[in-house]
Amino acid sequence: MMGTQTAIDYAPLAVLLPIFGAALAFVLRRHVMAQRSVTIGALVVTLALESWMLVSAWQNGAQAVMIGGWAPPFGISLVVDEFSALMLVVSTAVSLTVLLYATGQGMADGDEDGPVSVFHPAYLILVAGVSNAFLAGDLFNLYVGFEILLTASYVLLTLGGTTARIRAGVTYVVVSVVSSVLFLVAIGMIYAATGTVNMADLAGKLADIDPGTQMVLHVMLLVAFGVKAAVFPLSFWLPDSYPTAPAPVTAVFAGLLTKVGVYAMIRTETLLFPGDRLNGPLMVVALLTMLVGILGALAQADFKRMLSFTLTSHIGYMVFGLATGSAVALAATVYYVAHHIIVQTSLFLVAGLMERRGGTTNVDRLGSLAKLSPVLAVLFFIPAMNLAGIPPFSGFLGKLGLLRGGVDLGTPLAWALLAGALVTSLLTLLAVARVWNRAFWRRAEDAEEPDPILLIAADGGASPAPVKAGPIVRGDSELLPRTMVYSTGALVLLGVSLTIFAGPLFDLADQSAQQMMERTPYIEAVLGGTNAGGGP
Amino acid sequence: MAVVLIALFAVSAVAPLLFRRFGRASFYLLGAVPAAAFIWLLVNFNSFTSPNQAALAGEDNAPPGIVLEWIPTLQLELAFRMDALAAVLSLLILGVGALVLFYCARYFKNEDANIGPFGAQLLAFAGAMFGLVISDDLILLFIFWEITTILSYLLVGFARARIFARRSALQALLVTTFGGLAMLLGLVMIGQSAGTYRLSEVMAMAPELVSRGTLIDVAIALVLLGAVSKSALVPFHFWLPGAMAAPTPVSAYLHAAAMVKAGIYLVARLAPGFSDTTYWDPLVIGLGLATMLIGGWRALRQTDIKLILAYGTVSQLGFLMLVMGQANAGAAIAGLAMMLAHGFFKAALFLVVGIIDHQAGTRDVRLLSGLWRTAPKLFVIALLTAASMAGIPPLYGFVAKESLLEVLVAAEGAWGTVVLIGVVLGSILTVAYSARFIWGGFANKQGMPATPFKAVPWLFMASPTVLTVVTVGFGLYPAPIEHAVSGFASLFPATEHPIHLALWHGFTPVLGLSGIMVVGGLLLFRWRTGFGALQARVPALLDAERIYKGTLNVVDELAVWVTGRTQRGSLPFYLGVILLVALIVPAVAAIANDTPVPTTIAWFDTPAQLVTGLCMIVGALAAVRANKRFLAVLMVSVTGYGMAFIFALQGAPDLALTQLLVETIVLVAMVLALRVLPPPLWTANPSGHRVARAVLGIGFGLAMIAIAATAMASRVADPISLSFPELAYYGGAGKNIVNVTLVDIRVWDTFGEITVLAVAATGVASLIFVRGRGDARRRAHDVEPGSVGRARADGSGGSRSAAALATARHFAQSAKDAWLVAGKTMAPESRSIIFEVVARLVFHTIILFSIYLLLAGHNTPGGGFAGGLLAGLAMTIRYLAGGRFELVEATPISPGTLLGLGLGTAALSGVVPLLLGGHLFQSAVWEFALPLFGEHKFVTATFFDIGVYLVVVGLVVDVLRSLGSEIDEKTEKRGARSGGGRRSTEARQRTGAGR
Repeated sequence: MMGTQTAIDYAPLAVLLPIFGAALAFVLRRHVMAQRSVTIGALVVTLALESWMLVSAWQNGAQAVMIGGWAPPFGISLVVDEFSALMLVVSTAVSLTVLLYATGQGMADGDEDGPVSVFHPAYLILVAGVSNAFLAGDLFNLYVGFEILLTASYVLLTLGGTTARIRAGVTYVVVSVVSSVLFLVAIGMIYAATGTVNMADLAGKLADIDPGTQMVLHVMLLVAFGVKAAVFPLSFWLPDSYPTAPAPVTAVFAGLLTKVGVYAMIRTETLLFPGDRLNGPLMVVALLTMLVGILGALAQADFKRMLSFTLTSHIGYMVFGLATGSAVALAATVYYVAHHIIVQTSLFLVAGLMERRGGTTNVDRLGSLAKLSPVLAVLFFIPAMNLAGIPPFSGFLGKLGLLRGGVDLGTPLAWALLAGALVTSLLTLLAVARVWNRAFWRRAEDAEEPDPILLIAADGGASPAPVKAGPIVRGDSELLPRTMVYSTGALVLLGVSLTIFAGPLFDLADQSAQQMMERTPYIEAVLGGTNAGGGP
Repeated sequence: MAVVLIALFAVSAVAPLLFRRFGRASFYLLGAVPAAAFIWLLVNFNSFTSPNQAALAGEDNAPPGIVLEWIPTLQLELAFRMDALAAVLSLLILGVGALVLFYCARYFKNEDANIGPFGAQLLAFAGAMFGLVISDDLILLFIFWEITTILSYLLVGFARARIFARRSALQALLVTTFGGLAMLLGLVMIGQSAGTYRLSEVMAMAPELVSRGTLIDVAIALVLLGAVSKSALVPFHFWLPGAMAAPTPVSAYLHAAAMVKAGIYLVARLAPGFSDTTYWDPLVIGLGLATMLIGGWRALRQTDIKLILAYGTVSQLGFLMLVMGQANAGAAIAGLAMMLAHGFFKAALFLVVGIIDHQAGTRDVRLLSGLWRTAPKLFVIALLTAASMAGIPPLYGFVAKESLLEVLVAAEGAWGTVVLIGVVLGSILTVAYSARFIWGGFANKQGMPATPFKAVPWLFMASPTVLTVVTVGFGLYPAPIEHAVSGFASLFPATEHPIHLALWHGFTPVLGLSGIMVVGGLLLFRWRTGFGALQARVPALLDAERIYKGTLNVVDELAVWVTGRTQRGSLPFYLGVILLVALIVPAVAAIANDTPVPTTIAWFDTPAQLVTGLCMIVGALAAVRANKRFLAVLMVSVTGYGMAFIFALQGAPDLALTQLLVETIVLVAMVLALRVLPPPLWTANPSGHRVARAVLGIGFGLAMIAIAATAMASRVADPISLSFPELAYYGGAGKNIVNVTLVDIRVWDTFGEITVLAVAATGVASLIFVRGRGDARRRAHDVEPGSVGRARADGSGGSRSAAALATARHFAQSAKDAWLVAGKTMAPESRSIIFEVVARLVFHTIILFSIYLLLAGHNTPGGGFAGGLLAGLAMTIRYLAGGRFELVEATPISPGTLLGLGLGTAALSGVVPLLLGGHLFQSAVWEFALPLFGEHKFVTATFFDIGVYLVVVGLVVDVLRSLGSEIDEKTEKRGARSGGGRRSTEARQRTGAGR
C-alpha cells in the first residue's frame, strides 16, 4: 500500500480541495478578503493538480483510483483518462477566470455586505461537483456529482433573491430535480438488471442482458442526460432560467453545466452502450437541437437570452459528433466541448461587461459601444466570431472535424445533418453580427430606446476633440473594473490558444476518442490488475 | 513567403500603435510592407515559373513551397506553394495593396476616428489575400477565404453610424459566408475522397477523382457556389454595389482589385482538373455570361459614379469567370492577363472616384460638372484608364480583351457562339458605361455651374498615376505579362492556335469585333436618353436583393414562430414535455425491440408491505388533490413515513431510522415555512388540462413499474451487494453494513452528499437572509425579557383560554430561574411551561443519545446521519419551546461554522491517510483494551462520521434559524409596525371579535 504515489492517487483532491476550501470559506464567513483568498487559492492549486493529471493521462492513458482502497466494483473508483482530464483542466481554468471576474465585480461594487458568504462556498462546491462528475467511474457517484453541482447551482442562481431570480429558480430547480429523479430511477433500473453500478463493470454486464431491456435502460439514461445537456425537446427550460442570474454565475453555468450532461452522454454512450443502434435517432435530435436553438437565438433582443439559445443550439453539434459514431467525429466533439465551454463563458462575461458599460444587455437599447470602449469591442468580436465558427478560431476547427465525420458517413441523414450544421453556423453568424451592428456600431442615439448611461457618455465624447484610439479601459475604469476586463481578456485568449495549440489538442482529443471507442483501456484501468473482493 | 505572410500580419497587429504615434503617415509605413514584398516577389519571379508547374513537392522542377505541421489529426497543414498563378496574383495583391495604402495616407485625415483599426484591417486583408493565393491546402485556403470575408465586413462597416453601411456590411458578410460554407462542405468532400487536403496533390489526382462521379460533381458545384458568391456573380451580385458603402480605397482594393478576384482565382485553380464535372459549365460560364450582361445593363442606370464602377466590376467579374471557365491554355493566358488589366484600371478608377468625392464632396453625375477643366491631370488619368476598361487601343485593356476574343472565337459549337455573342453585347455595354463614367465625372452638365473642386496634392494622385502608367506601358509592351502568365497556361493542354498578347495582330476578325464593340458602345452612350427610357420600361427579371431580404424575413418570422411554440415560459409545459419524452421514448424502445415483459410478478412479499404501499398511494393522491398547503405537506409526509416503514420491514433499521428522522425534520421545516405562505394551494386550475396531466402522471408511473419489473427479471449476474456483509466485517471492521458502506466502502458518495447538505443549508439561509448567510448572532442577554413574540399573540385572540394565559404570566413573573436560558425573552403569553420543562429535561438526554448513535453506528444501527438528525431534533425542541434566542443559546457555534467544521473534518479524515502514503479515505482499525469495558476496536472512519454529524446538525440549525427565527423576527417587525397606531389596534380587535 505504501508504494510510490503518482498523479492518479491525488486525483480525488480535484474534488476534495474545493470542498475543503468551501469548508474554510464557511468558517471564515466574516472575513471577505480571507474568503476570497481561500477560494482563489483552492482553485489555483486544483488547477495545478489537474494539469499534472492531464499530463499523466496523456502519457499513460486511462488510470483509476479506488477511494479508500476498496476494490472495484464494490468501492468507488474515479477514472482519469484523456477526456476527463481535459475536461477537468478546462472547467477549472474557466471557473478560476470567472471567479476572478466575480471578485473584480465584487471589489468594484463593494461586496462587504453582499452575499459573498454564500457565493464563495457555493461556487467552490459547484466546481467540486463538476469535477466529481467528470471523474466518476461509478454511475451512482456520477449522480452524486450531479447533485453537488445542481444544489450549488440552485443557490447561485437565486443569489440575492430578487423576484425574477426566484421565478427563474423555480423553473430551474423543478426541472433539474425531475431530471435527477429520472437519472436516479434509471440507475435503480440498471442496478436491478445488472447488480452493479460501477461503470467498467457495467460495460461488461450490460452486454449480457436482454437487448430490449438494454435499449430501454439506454434511452432512460439518455433522456435524463438530455435534460441536463439541454437537448431538444428537453431544452426549453434553459433560456428561461440562466439569463436572470448575475453575470459570472450565468457564465459559469453556461460554460460548464450543460457540458457535464454532454460529458455524461458521451461517456455512457461509448462505454456502456457501444454500437450504433441509436445513431439515427440521435442525429435527428442533433439536427432539431441545432435548428430550433438557433432560431430561438434569432428571435431574441436580449443578448444574454440570445446566448442561452446559441448555447442549446450548439449542444446539437456535440450530439452530432457523438451520433456519427466515428473516431474522427468523436475527437472533434471532445475538442468542440472544450471550445464551447470557453467561448460561451467568455461571451457571457462580455455580456456582463456590456451590461455595466451600457446599462443593459437588451440590444434594442444599446449602441456606440465600439466607440465608448474599444477594448470591449475586441473582447466581444473575437469570441463572437469564434462562436460563429469563423476560421481560424476553434469553433471552426471543431466543426471541420464534425464535417469530416459526417462526410465519411455519407448517409442521407448525415447529409441532412451537415446541411443543418452549416445553416446553424450561418445563422449564428447572423445573430452575433446583428448584435455587433446594433450594440457596437450603431450610435446610441439611433437605438430604439437608448439607455441613458450611453447618452451621457456619448454627449461627453461628442465634442470634436480628436478621438485617438484610447488606452486600455480609459476613463471606463469605474464602469469596467480592470480585474473584470483582464479576466475576460484572459479567457478570450484561452479561446484563441485553442487554435494555436490545436495540433496537440486534437492529438489528445483523437487519442481520447480512440480510447473511448476501444473501451478496453478504461475497463482495464478499473477492473484489470486488481484483485476483486479485497478490502484495504 | 512565410516571412512575407508573417510580416503582413505582424505589422497589422501593431498598426493601431503606429497610428497613435504617427497619425495618418503610418499608412506609408504600412504600405512599405507589401511594397517590399512586391519587390521581393518580382526579383525572385523566375523561381516561381518553374517548367513543371504541376509537379508535387519534392519532384523535379516543382514550384517552391513550405509545409509546416499544424493539426495532423485533421490533416490540416500550413502548406504554402508559390507557383506561377499564385505569383501573378500575389504581385497584383501586393502591388495594388501598397498603392492603396499609400493613397490612404492622403485620403484620410489625422482626426478621422478609427483609422488605426482601419489601417490594421486593410493591411491584414493584404496578408489574408496573399495567404489565400499561396495556400496549398484546401482548408487553409478556406481559412484565408473567410478571413477576407470578415475583414471585408469590418471595412465595409467603417462608416458605422450610417445604417446603410451597417446593413451592407452584414449583407456582404452573409452572402459570401453562405457561399463560403457551401464551399467548405465541398472542400471537405473533395479532401475526404482524395484522402489528402494538399491542393497540389488533389489537382494531380483530379482525373481519377472526376471519374468517381456524382460525389465529386456535387463537391465541385458546392465549391463553385463559394466562388460565385465571393466574386459577386448572379444571383449573388447585389452585395457588391452595397459594399460600396465602404471608404473608396477599400472599394478599390477589396471590391475591385483583390477580394472579389478570389472566386476567379479559385476557378482558375481548379480549372486544370475539374472543368469536366457536370455543373462546371452552367455555373461558371452560364452565370458568368448572365452576370456580364446584367452588370453592364445596371451600370448604365446608375447616377453615382462609384456605383457605375461597382456594376461595371460585377459585369467584368462575370466576364473573367466565363473566360477562366473555358479551361484551356489560351483562356488561361487571356483570362489571367485580363484579370491583371482589370486590377490596374479598376483600382485606378476607384482611386479617381475617391479623389473626386474627397475634393468635390459628391459623386453624383447630375451634380458634377466641368471637372475636366478644373482637374485636368485627374481627367487624363481617368480617361486613359476608362479607355483601357472599354478596350480601346493602345492601352493594356485592349490587348487583354483582344486575346480573350481570340479564345472565344476559336471556341467551337453552338455554346461557343452564344458565349461570343453575349460577350460582344456585354462589351458594348462596357464601352457605354465607361463613356458614361467619364461623362458623368468630368463633363460639363447643362445648366450646372462648374463644381467647386479643391486642388489635388500630387501625393494623393500618385497611386492612380502609377496604375495608369502601368496600363499604358503594358499596352505598348505586353511581353512581360505574357511571360508571367504563361507558366499558369502550361497546366492546360495546348490549344491549336497559341494565344499571344500583342497590341497589333493584323486585320483579324477579332479586330473587327473590337471595332463593333467600341462603335456600338459609343452609339449606345450617344443615345443614352432613349436607352435609359427603354431600360426603365423593362421590368427587373430577378431582383436578387429582394429575395435575400425576403429570405431573412422568412427566417425571422420562422424564428419567432418556432420560439413562440416551444418557449412558452410555462413550467408545466416544460415538465409535460420532459415527462412525455421520458414516457414515450422508453416505451417505443421496449416495443420496437420486443422486450420481454415478465409474466409472473410478485406484487408483495408480506401483507404489511401491501398495506403500507396502499397507504403511500393514498397519501400521494391526496397530496395531489389537496387544496391546502398544510394538507399537501402532511400527505407527502405520509409517503415518506410509509417508505421508512417499508425499509423497516425489509430489515434495514438504519435506513428506516434515518428516513424517519429526515421526514420529521422536513415536516418541521415545512410547517415553519408554511407560516408565511398563503394557505390555499390552488385558487383555480389555470390551464385546465387536468385529465391530460393525470393520464401523463399515471402513465409515467405505470411505465416505470413495467420497466422495473422487466429490469429485475432480466438480471443474470449476482449483485455486488452480496459481498457487502463480508467486506464490511472483515474489511471495514464493522457489523453495521449500512454504516460501513456509508462511511467506508462508499464514503466518497457520502462525502458528496454532506457537501450537498452544506450547500443546501446555505441556499435556504441565502434565500431568507438575502444579503448573506446571516451568521451574525445576537445573544439572549441583549434582549429585553418578555419582548419576543408579543405581536404574534395579543391578549384578545388566540386559542388559549384566559386562565391558561394567566397561569403563564404568573409563571413568567415568578420563576426567577428559568428552565430554559432564553425563556425569559419570550412574551409571557407565548410561553408554555410544560414544554419548557420537558425541553429542559430531555435535551441533554437526546444529545447524549445522538452521540451514542454516532459512535456506536459502526456496529449497531445509527451513525453520523442519524445522530446528527437526532441532535437536530433536540435543537428543534429547544427552539420551539424557548424561541429564537433559545436556539442561539443552544448552539454556541454558528451554523455556518458548524457546516465548515463538519466538511473540513470529513475532508481532512480523507486526506490524512493519503498524506501518510495510503489511499484517500482509507480507514485503519485501532484495537485497544479499556479496563472495565474490555476489548474495543476504533475505526478511523469514525472521524469522517463526526464530520457528517456536524454537517447535519449545522443543516438543521440553519433551517431552524432561517425558516424559524428569521421569519419570526420579520413577522414581529411587520406586526410591530402595523400595530403601532391606535387605529390598527382597534382594527385587530375587531377582527378578533369577529372570529
